[in-house]
Amino acid sequence: MIGEIPLSDVLLASGALFLVGLAGTLLRRSAISIFLSIEVMMNAANLALIGYGGALATREGQILVFFVIAIAAAEASVGLAIFVAVFRHKETIDVNKINLLKW
Amino acid sequence: MSRIVFDAAAVLTVLFAAVMAVHRHPVKSVLALVVSFFGLAVCYVMLSAPFIAAIQVIVYAGAILVLFLFVLMLLNVPEEARERDAHPIQRVLSGLALVIFAAALLALLNTNGPVRGPSGASAVSFDVAPLARLLFSEYLLPFEALSVLLLAALVGAYVLAQRETGEPR
Repeated sequence: MIGEIPLSDVLLASGALFLVGLAGTLLRRSAISIFLSIEVMMNAANLALIGYGGALATREGQILVFFVIAIAAAEASVGLAIFVAVFRHKETIDVNKINLLKW
Repeated sequence: MSRIVFDAAAVLTVLFAAVMAVHRHPVKSVLALVVSFFGLAVCYVMLSAPFIAAIQVIVYAGAILVLFLFVLMLLNVPEEARERDAHPIQRVLSGLALVIFAAALLALLNTNGPVRGPSGASAVSFDVAPLARLLFSEYLLPFEALSVLLLAALVGAYVLAQRETGEPR
């Protein structure tokens, strides 16, 4: 089916999605929102991988995306556990208020 | 035809990701992201990757985002306050970095012209069986390593989130 979809469309969508994720990461203050934005950036990379895999007529792209998604699941569980631990100590997950290591 | 569907799904994905990025209420931004990931799954189907589309819906929209929602409701995270920033310079600099990055990305997409794969439209076939064969032969070792990683993440999440001994309940 990719024959009908030019790779430039896929890359444009991927780039736009990455940009949205980057904007969220840089401009938000809630740690959960930043984490969600990082997930969006990871999905943008996945989209580019699938697009290139299709354009090069190989399945390696899909395999790579499979592993990325599995690792994203592991990363999300550990990251959210860290949020729970931080929230228990500081009662907030606003990244401007978590500044113990700041000089 | 499939190009139209792909483009529509991609626009929907980016749009709802933007809703996620600007929304101050954390639960609503997670729900916007669910819609965005469903759109992405449609994109994957259009790129003849049905297995990845299923994984996207089951693992991403189904498991990871539900985990987010679960933690949000456990912690009762309030809506992000509209307070003045203590460091407005950070905001300006990040806006600047964003513009520079967007310009660089656009320039990259333009210099390579409309990027094309090899001509001939040799599409990957739609069935999943060859993917499974690849995953369980050539990529068997990474696949098994992944199960160890998931176990490590499970134990790590448990240890991080449990109460310290002596802490009042």
